[in-house]
Amino acid sequence: MATIVGGFVVPHNPVMYFNPKGASAEQSAAVYAAYARMAERIRELRADTAIIIGCDHYILFGTEALPPYVISTGEIEGPVDQLPGIKRAPIASNAALGAHIAAVGRQTGFDWTVGRAMQVDHSIGIPHHLMIKPNAGMTSVAVMLACGVDPYLPMARAWQIGEHIAAAVESDGTDQRVVVIGSGGISHHVGNERMGEVNPTFDRKVLGIVTRGDREAMLALTDEEILQEGGNGAMEIRTYACAMAATRAAGGEVVAYEPIEGWVTGMGFAELKVAA
Amino acid sequence: MSRNSLEKVLYDLSTSGANKKLFASDPDKFLGRYQLDAEEKVLVRDYRVRELADRGVNTMLTWGFWLQAGKPNSDYMKIMKREEA
Repeated sequence: MATIVGGFVVPHNPVMYFNPKGASAEQSAAVYAAYARMAERIRELRADTAIIIGCDHYILFGTEALPPYVISTGEIEGPVDQLPGIKRAPIASNAALGAHIAAVGRQTGFDWTVGRAMQVDHSIGIPHHLMIKPNAGMTSVAVMLACGVDPYLPMARAWQIGEHIAAAVESDGTDQRVVVIGSGGISHHVGNERMGEVNPTFDRKVLGIVTRGDREAMLALTDEEILQEGGNGAMEIRTYACAMAATRAAGGEVVAYEPIEGWVTGMGFAELKVAA
Repeated sequence: MSRNSLEKVLYDLSTSGANKKLFASDPDKFLGRYQLDAEEKVLVRDYRVRELADRGVNTMLTWGFWLQAGKPNSDYMKIMKREEA
């Protein structure tokens, strides 16, 4: 039986690559140290594979079709939106696990859109580069939730998908050790007149929900509250809900938090416990 | 009036270098491919991102559309805040 042995929530902020000096040296060091600490924790957990839960930013999926949730079942390549220092390249894929989750989903009410030769954006590419790539031999499954382009995946559905992922991993016939990563920024406004506003109060509320494993509080966050208090970018916390559910909402601890206006984002990092 | 086709134009411009080249060299010809009315074509041709956003166009697209043309982010923010760029 495959086992989920750990979970994390992290940002995936491309601005830290395009405008590295937008943060103070201290903040930048804290952010990169948090990623490095999480890469180390993944090594300590002896993980074989990571399920990275990201979201499209109108980069991968266009107006022709906007899928609510997608999983990689074959090769992965990215990020298609290359960043300074992170070039588009093949990402070692765990196609079998992705295919298994998709197959289980078709039997249990989760009709995944599948990516057979899937391209991903920075929401997968950044955590992969900073957390998975340093751990030689690890593979990844890419999951994309509709968090950046409406119609947004309902928060409750993101939670259900996390629970489904947990059940599907447990039914996998291998003995691999799996970590899940919810990839998204907390408060940030992308492209609108409020871009640059960061809301530490909202960010700490979200991190509190995550580290308490508070399902009810997470599901009580309305889109209106998220958009008003956290911004359109904060809709990405659906990835946190999914990761929380995949680890059975056992709580966790904040690893780092930096509100960085120059990087237009509340950058929160937490490690999730896994329920026994 | 179609938010959908406006988003399609901006998505196509943000994901294809060939589209960017054609739009830069002959915007009217490029925009002729899309189901846009005359007013909408002007909004795109003239980079009127505030008005595009007011019509419901996703601001991830309007921002990318602006930046792909090499225009300064500071001007984008002035326009989005309804200040003069």
